[in-house]
Formats: sequence, structure tokens, C-alpha cells
Amino acid sequence: MLRNLKAFLIFLALTLVISGPAFAQDAKLIEAAKKEGGKVVLYGSLESDTVEAVRKAFQKKTGIEAEYWRASATKVMDRALNEYRAGRPLFDVILTNDNPLQIMQKQGVFAKYESPSAKDFPKDAIDPNLGPRYRNVIIGIVYNKGVIKSADAPKSLEDLLKPQYKGKLVMPDPTQHTTTTQWVASLFKLMGKEKSDKFIRDLAGMKPILVESLLPAAERVTTGETPIAITYVKYAFIFGQKGAPMDYVRLEKMLGDGHYAPLSNKAPHPNAGKTFIDFFLGDESMNIMARMGEFVNRKGVFPPLPDADKIQFVEMLDLDTKGFAEKKKEYAKIFLR
Amino acid sequence: MAAGRDLPAGWALSRAGIFLTQPINLIFLGVAGIIAFLSLYPTFFLIYGSLTDAPLGVPGHFTLNNYIRAYSDPETYRLIVTSFVFGLGASGLSVVLALTLAWITIRTNAPFSRLFELTAIVPNIMPPILIAISWVLLLNPNNGLINASLVKLFGWQQGPFNIYSLPGLIFVEGLILTPLAFLIIAAALKSMDPALEESAKTLGSSEFGVARRITLPLMRPAILAAGTLNFVRAVESFDTPAIIALPARIEVFTTKIWREALGSFPTNHNLAATYGVGILVIALLFVYLYRRFTSQIESFSTVTGKGFRPHQIDLGPWKYSASLVALLLLILMVVLPFLVLLLVALLPYYHVPTWQTWQNLTLDNFRYIWDTSRVHRAFANSLFLALVGASVCMLLAALTSYITVRTKIAARGLLEGLVFIPWAFPGTALALGLLWAYVDFPIPVYATIWIIMIAYVTRFLPYGLRAVSSTIIQIHKELEEASVACGAGFFATFRRILIPMMRPGVMAGWIILATIFMREFSATLFLYSPSAEPLGPLLYFLYLDGMRGRVAAIGLVISVISILLIAVAQRFSRWEKS
Repeated sequence: MLRNLKAFLIFLALTLVISGPAFAQDAKLIEAAKKEGGKVVLYGSLESDTVEAVRKAFQKKTGIEAEYWRASATKVMDRALNEYRAGRPLFDVILTNDNPLQIMQKQGVFAKYESPSAKDFPKDAIDPNLGPRYRNVIIGIVYNKGVIKSADAPKSLEDLLKPQYKGKLVMPDPTQHTTTTQWVASLFKLMGKEKSDKFIRDLAGMKPILVESLLPAAERVTTGETPIAITYVKYAFIFGQKGAPMDYVRLEKMLGDGHYAPLSNKAPHPNAGKTFIDFFLGDESMNIMARMGEFVNRKGVFPPLPDADKIQFVEMLDLDTKGFAEKKKEYAKIFLR
Repeated sequence: MAAGRDLPAGWALSRAGIFLTQPINLIFLGVAGIIAFLSLYPTFFLIYGSLTDAPLGVPGHFTLNNYIRAYSDPETYRLIVTSFVFGLGASGLSVVLALTLAWITIRTNAPFSRLFELTAIVPNIMPPILIAISWVLLLNPNNGLINASLVKLFGWQQGPFNIYSLPGLIFVEGLILTPLAFLIIAAALKSMDPALEESAKTLGSSEFGVARRITLPLMRPAILAAGTLNFVRAVESFDTPAIIALPARIEVFTTKIWREALGSFPTNHNLAATYGVGILVIALLFVYLYRRFTSQIESFSTVTGKGFRPHQIDLGPWKYSASLVALLLLILMVVLPFLVLLLVALLPYYHVPTWQTWQNLTLDNFRYIWDTSRVHRAFANSLFLALVGASVCMLLAALTSYITVRTKIAARGLLEGLVFIPWAFPGTALALGLLWAYVDFPIPVYATIWIIMIAYVTRFLPYGLRAVSSTIIQIHKELEEASVACGAGFFATFRRILIPMMRPGVMAGWIILATIFMREFSATLFLYSPSAEPLGPLLYFLYLDGMRGRVAAIGLVISVISILLIAVAQRFSRWEKS
């Protein structure tokens, strides 16, 4: 008994010695954050239920309140940039994808903050300016297995061109929806330039149903109106969880977008912002997110989607304003004939 | 004018003095000042944005390139024509449906008319996007519920309806726009003196003849008001086209604006504002036409000093048929889309119902509303905005409408034009104008609930104005003159004579505004802070996150609350009248 207690005390002391500085830093930061008003303001395009789960855990651990303004990535950038330019930024941290963040970064919106939690991310997933790429949002083929049996489902992107799928395919309009423009423009990373050029033309020739964005595409799969969609793979999990008969095609490689959580350099609550980022990139929050269907960049942490660990992520091409405009014009000629 | 130049300076000053001693002129100055500020301040940024080559807030150069880019493309004009067809079709359909429904519920003794009148407002409460989605679930060619049922029933190869077509687009938008037209037309019908109709009848006209020759022409201001509003609303709407036109591969003006400006990455605000100026020109043209068609105001004055009570036409045995027609219209406008939304709210995920479906029904989405304090806060914020915002807006609308219709003040037409300016810009473009206008405003309203109210009043004043103007036109001047002759001042006359006489219009406008304010988001999105979140943005992000069940459930609860509110408000206004 006594020996056990002794062992425990030694263990406790060791733990304190090892993690002491981190704890001390945490406590100091939290104290400073509370002096700023005890709240952090987040703008982002991360799904609100996910943020809600993280927010609760964060508040429980630190006692700091997190307020979240959720909109699409473009709108997040619009509001944040406008506030910033007017000298009245109300946000501390932005949670959104690579492209808009790079544009904001060029305008000097972000402060450089090296979070202690960053050390647990793979080196190639750390952007020098934006910090760790905490999640990958992956686009693939999702289908309704109630309408299309798994054996009859497409096995590759090229399979989508088979005549049997004509009229059964839905995708966001690549001339309207930015991420889809980017996806089509990045296909060469999967199949090479020549093959991808032909694939894009043939895909357009299939006359897929075009919708506004990735979500309506997935929703048409759940309702069975159009059984196959090019959309986020995670929807197979999210809608599957609610009972929809969804599955995704196990493509060898899939394109996707990286998401980051940078700190504003004019944050009204800089310490609360840092506290949030430390927690957000930490183990507890990454596990919460993975459980909710996100592909987080942590070794061995996967969403509860079958074969999620086998997916090879390929980051999509970064396009600038001119690049987007040109591609949209090009695809209008191909897709809207 | 030439004589004016020869007059001594003191004379002009004393004229200004006389101008200022009249209370109506002071009110004109006050109202004009408020409206000019609300409308021109954000619009200035949009127009400025259309003439520069840098995003707002970044120093740029003057340029006409945005205009050249937007309006030198022949496609723009082709799409404007498609948008015109769409706008005329949808607003025409809405006016025809509204007129039929209003005539049955207001002027005839058809049974259940009160209930019908209340139900007709419901679709105005729902976010338009939800109604469009409901119709896709009902009428899509692959598995739309109506198509699927008909296929099953008759053993056809495929369903007869295809929502993804121009008629489908017009049909859905027309249904979405009907409540607004209904409220305006019903208000005018309520305050119409039946004496003219009775004379025509005495002279041997049939009921149909009376409707065609007397009622319809007298309703012209209201019909034009409703038609004008709905036309512009259809032309600038993006929700329904996004849901229906995109899959149908029909291009309209707004889908082009979306692709090139609002939906481009990053958003091209300059080009969006430039396109907005185009819609503004169309809207102002319609305001001008409206004013021309209703310029001989006296000819519409049917509410005179003689005591009258809008009487009801006895349809005899036909009254049940009239109820049936109203019921059929309401099934299209309200019952069908709402049943679909109820299904969406009760299912864990939407699918074509089978027998198994009934075992999966769940109240989770309603439980979410019950359990989540964030939703409760949003309800409280939106109720506040609806009640206070709609009242403030209607006060401004009533004053503006009095000035533009009743007085001979020189710049009154301009005032009306001003009201319409911010409304003509697409919602998202205006939102950016508002963001820029108020983010750095000396009075710290940005990211508070007050900025949302300012945005609502700015954007939706035209609805209030149209509703109240089409009834004020009907009030004969002799009532005011009598009041003034009896020694009452302007305020007493306005309060005792005009407000009570305008009540149907004020009430209609208030209902339109309150129901929109309960769920508006596009003008609010950039302005609110998460700590003062109303329902509209909450619905928007739930929708973005793919939680249609929750959106539908909240939508249904908002509808019920709004209906109760409206019923109480109507009762209150009737009680005051008696």
C-alpha cells in the first residue's frame, strides 16, 4: 500500500516536472485571457456543431467563453477583411480553408503564433504563416447504396463516364462554386494533364445535374433524387449516421482542401485567442472533431468512416483571382454548352 | 424662375421661414433627412465601389471598366430578357392568385374567409429557399412526391411534372411572392367604398361585370404596387434560381451576377455593385411607371367622408365554390410545402416516405429547439426586431407615403426614389455596402442589434411604403380638409383621421415587415455579432451545415408564433376601430 503510494507520488512529481512549464504557461495565458474579458471571438466556416462540441470542452477546461460567427468561407473573408481594413476587427481567430486565408495573410491580417500544440502535427502539414493544417476536407464520389448496389457503383473517377450513370450524377456547378472550380482544375494532380483534360470534357458530356454547392449535391444523394454525387466524403458519414444509406467510392487518391486556425494580429482578445488555438489544436479537440467525421491531421486519428485510414489526400491547386476567373470561363464553355 | 433672381435676399429667407413654420414641412425635412441618410449612405459606398478598381477600404483608381465589363457583354442583355420573362411571369402569377384569394376572402361571404386570410400570409414567414426546396421534393422528375404518386397510381413511365423548367421556376417564385401581393391588395379591398359597385349593380351590371368594370380598375394602384414590388423581387432573387434554374441550366441575370461577382473568389464587390446599379435602374423605372399610372390620384379616391362599411357580396349557393377555390390556392401555397417541411422536420434525414418511414419519425429536431439556449436567444432577438423594427418602419412609411401622395412639396418624387435605392441592390451586395458604411460609424452600432434594425429599415421600407401608399391614395382629401377646417393641426389630423383611415394599409405593411424581419438574413449576415444573433443567421448556418430538419422545425415554430402574433395584431386593430 505504502509502496504504491510512494510510486504514485514519484509519478506525480515526475509528471509535474515534465509538464510543469506547459501547465504554468497555460495558467498564465488563461489568467491573461480572463483579464481581457474572458471570451474569444471566432469567425469561420467550420461546421457549427463541431465548433459547439469543441467550445463546450474549451469552456469547461479554461472557463473562457467562445463566440462563433459561422458563414461560408468567402463571406468569412469578406467580413474579416472589411473589418480589418476599417480598423475595427472584432475577431480573434479565423477557422477556414487555405485559399481565403492566404489572401488575408497577404493583407497582413494574421499574427505569427507558434502554438505549443503544433508540435504534434506532421512537419509537412505546418504552414510557415498559418500554422498547422488541422484538417483536410476531402472530395470524392458519394452514392446512395439504396438506389445503386455497391457492386454496381463506380470504382474510379473514370467509371463515372459509363453510359449507365447518365442522368444519375450530381455535382456543384464548376462555373459557380469556387471549391469545385478548384477541384476540376486540380484533377491533373491525380491523372496527369492529358488524361484530365479529356476526363473533364467527357464528364461535362455526361450532362451531370449542376447544383449550387457541395452540400445540395450530397443532399440529392440522401433523398435519392440523384444517386451519385461529387462531394465531400465526410457527408457519407454525417448523413449515414442519421440513417441515410450512403457510401463512398474508395478512390486511391482524393483531392481536398486544408484548413487552418490563425490568430488575428489586431485581436481584441489576443491571449484568449492563443488559449483557444492551443486547445483547438490539442489532442482533446482533435479527437472530438475526428469523432464528428473530420479528417484531422493527427497520426492514427481517423473519422469513424470505414477505410478512412486508407485515403491518400492530395492538396488541391492554389488559384489566384485571375486563375479562378479564367478557369470558370473555360468550364462555362465546356459544362454549359 | 427669372423673377426669383430679381427678388431681394431677405425675401428668400422669409420664404424659407414660412416653409419652416408649417409642421408638415418640418416633418418632410425630418423624414427626408432620415431616409436620405439611410438610403444614400450605404448606397454611396456601392456606387463608389462600382467606379473604382480596388476593394472598398483600399485606395484605388477611378475606372469605368466595371461598367464596360458588365454591360458590353451581349450575354448580359440576353439574360436580362430571360429575367424579364421570369419576373413578369412570377409577379403576374402572384397578382392573379392574390387578387382571386383577396376578393374571395375580403369581399364575399364565402365561409372560413378569416381563416383563409390568415393562412395566406404564412409563406411570407418561411425563408423562400425552404419553399423552393419543398417544391423540388414535390415536383422533381425523378422522385418528386407528386410525380412518384401519379406514376404509382396510373402506372405511367414517368411523372408529368418537371420543376426544372422556366414554367417550374415561374410557378414556384409566383407562389413565394403571392402573400406580399395578397396583403397589399387585400388592404386596398378592405378600404374600398362599395358605393360605386352598388351603383353599377343598380344600373343592371352583373357581379362579374362589376368586378371587371368597377372593382378591378379601382384596385389599379394596389395591383400595380404589388406587381412592381414582386417583379423587382423576382428579378433580383437568387434563392429560387439557385435551387431550380441551375439544375435546369436556365441562366438568369442573378446567376450571372453570382458567377462573375458575388460567387467569384474573392468576391468582386466592384462588379457586384455595378450589376446592382443595373437592377437599380430597372427598379427606378418601375417606380416611375407606377407613379405615372397612379398620378391621377383623385380618381382612385373611394374612401370619402360618407359613412361606409365595406360590404360583402352575397354569392348565394356559389359561396361554397368560392371557398373551394380559395382552399385549392392555399393548398398550393401553404399546405403542400408545409407538409413537406413537416416531414423534413420529423425525419432523421429526408427521403421519399415508405411504410418503414413511419417507424423512423423523430422529434429530435423540435427537441433541439426546446433544449438549446442559443435558439431561445435568437427567438427573443428576432421577436424584438420584428415588433419594434416593423413599427418604426411603418411610422416612417406612413409619413413618407403621406408626403409623396398627399403634399405638393417639390422633391416628394425624389423621396420615393430614395426609398427604393437600397432595395434594388441584391441582398448580398447591399449587405457589403451596409457593412462598410457602419463598421466604422462614429456611433458604435456595428455588431449590435441596432445595426440590424437600421439594415432592416433601409432594405424593407419600400414594402411598407407600397402597402400604405396604395391605401392612402384611396382616402379622399375632403376628410383632411374637414379636419383642418374644424381647427385641427397637422398632427391631430394625422393621428385622428389619416392613421385610422390608413389602418388596413399600415396593418398589411406591418405584417409583411414583421414576418420578413423574423427570419431575414442576407442583409444581416455581415452586421450582427454572435452575442446578438437573430433567427435568420441561425437558420442560415444550420442550412449551411446540412441540418435541414432543424431548419424546417425552426421554420415551422416561427410560422406558428408569427401567425399568433398576426392574429392578435389584427384583433387589436379591429378592436380599436370599433
